[in-house]
Amino acid sequence: MREGNRLYSYIWVAPCLLLYVIFFAIPLFIGFYSAMTNWTMGREVTAFVGLENFRHIFSDPELLNAVRNTFLYTVVVVIFKNLFGFVLAIILSTPLSRKRRVNNLFRTLFYIPAVMSTIVLGVVFTRILHPLGLLNACLKSIGLGFLAQNWLINTRVVMLSIAGVSVWQWTGYHMVIYLAGIQGIAPDYLEAATIDGASTLQRLRKVTIPLLAATINMNVILSLIGGLRGFSEVYVLTNGGPGHASQVLTTEVLSKFAEGRWGLGTALNAVLFLLVAVICIPLLRQMRRQEVEE
Amino acid sequence: MNEALLRRRAVRGVTVLFLLLVSVIVITPLLFMVLGSFKNPLEASSFSLSLPGHWLFRNYLDVVREGSLGRAFVNSCLIAAASSALTVFFSSIASFVVARKRSRLAQFLYYFFFLGSLAPMQIIPTIQILKVAHIYGSFASVILIYAALNLSFGCFLYTGFIKSVPRALDEAALMEGASLFGIFFMVIFPLLTPANVTVSILIFLSIWNDINLPIYFLPDSTKWTMPLSVYGFFGRYSSSWNLVFADLALTALPVVILYLAAQKYVVSGLLVGAVKQ
Repeated sequence: MREGNRLYSYIWVAPCLLLYVIFFAIPLFIGFYSAMTNWTMGREVTAFVGLENFRHIFSDPELLNAVRNTFLYTVVVVIFKNLFGFVLAIILSTPLSRKRRVNNLFRTLFYIPAVMSTIVLGVVFTRILHPLGLLNACLKSIGLGFLAQNWLINTRVVMLSIAGVSVWQWTGYHMVIYLAGIQGIAPDYLEAATIDGASTLQRLRKVTIPLLAATINMNVILSLIGGLRGFSEVYVLTNGGPGHASQVLTTEVLSKFAEGRWGLGTALNAVLFLLVAVICIPLLRQMRRQEVEE
Repeated sequence: MNEALLRRRAVRGVTVLFLLLVSVIVITPLLFMVLGSFKNPLEASSFSLSLPGHWLFRNYLDVVREGSLGRAFVNSCLIAAASSALTVFFSSIASFVVARKRSRLAQFLYYFFFLGSLAPMQIIPTIQILKVAHIYGSFASVILIYAALNLSFGCFLYTGFIKSVPRALDEAALMEGASLFGIFFMVIFPLLTPANVTVSILIFLSIWNDINLPIYFLPDSTKWTMPLSVYGFFGRYSSSWNLVFADLALTALPVVILYLAAQKYVVSGLLVGAVKQ
């Protein structure tokens, strides 16, 4: 076995590592350093300012609002992408026709938005969510006119509208992952539970969900990363507006860079990274443990 | 017995009805776009789901000509294809060693590559590096950056895949006198075909749909990719929504076709990546 280990040479990792280090890791470390400088476009001298940028982020109301929006957006998309994705997967896991043709048709259809560009869908949704757009017209025509909103203009709902578009786009993606997890459960478990007289709901609670722990975890991680790092949907739907009402961390990074405040922009990026790492790494570790147990 | 059958049928009926309702929610925005793309400017500006009075196929010709979508299409294909090829090649050979070696260094490399999935890319420092290398603004720079960013995902998927290929195969090939090169390219790589197709398609799709990199790294609009050209087009023609819709539909079409053609791989890859690893 020792000999086997020696057979594999690290030279094979070199091209991958080189590319990764030059275009990703080195910029990442430069970024962490420059997050602690007052690096600004056009300024001759860049000085080390320690944690000043971070202090600024957590005392500037506009940036704090972006942090709050990022959290709100993330919580909403994580909950609904997973809830809807899971429910659809459960429904689609029982055969609706011989050879599951009908099931596959629905699965194919529900996944389509996930392969499309968020920019394309976003531009379409600016028309659907327009005050005189399709959504309000539909609500009125089915007697729910009181729900009509200025979806992208009302500062109180704008973040939820953006989250809604993201949930619409990605539910099918999460559904497909759940579906695979469900189909990976050995039928014996469910049969045994049925023989023991468990109802559909009991089987779901006592057998399916516990056995899906790793899948659920993975879906939550994916949607968390998607939520915290979400950019295109905000950029195309509102570009952070009206005013700064729907700014999230990623769009603030863009606007700080555009203003030439590079030090501050990279500090914001670092905050984003820390958020993702602090939230996702424990979940990842837990997921690996769950897999070992299975 | 009969009653049970009846009840099962009723449940199935309600289920299908519910799924049809969800389908309507999924399809409506897409239908809205497609119908809008065939309307005249006046009809398109009403933002309804009505059918066009005359189906104006000409709209598509107009956007291809005026929006220079042909060039954007070629740019997108070039960037997405070259980066996914690079990613497949580099990350598969790296993962082969990372998956097989039983050492701390291999373990470290696995996590080091995984970092790429968590950390956001640093835009301004990357631009500086590109300027030092004199490739800022070129296709090559974007291709290399996309590859670098996707290596993380590639290594993640490939390491999982390769671990499921028994080592005994390597050892058998070794006995037959194969070199490491031979083992990988004659024995392992063919077995990775599903992973190869999956990784290339998923990366191709994600690059095709991305606008983050072209915004920062391709200041020259003749090098823009399709989604970004949509954005430019949207700005210029915001009074002709029929043309905007046609432009959007044309940008979405290639990836939807690719997805429908290679669905098996897209879905199965997602699963291997998400569930097994």
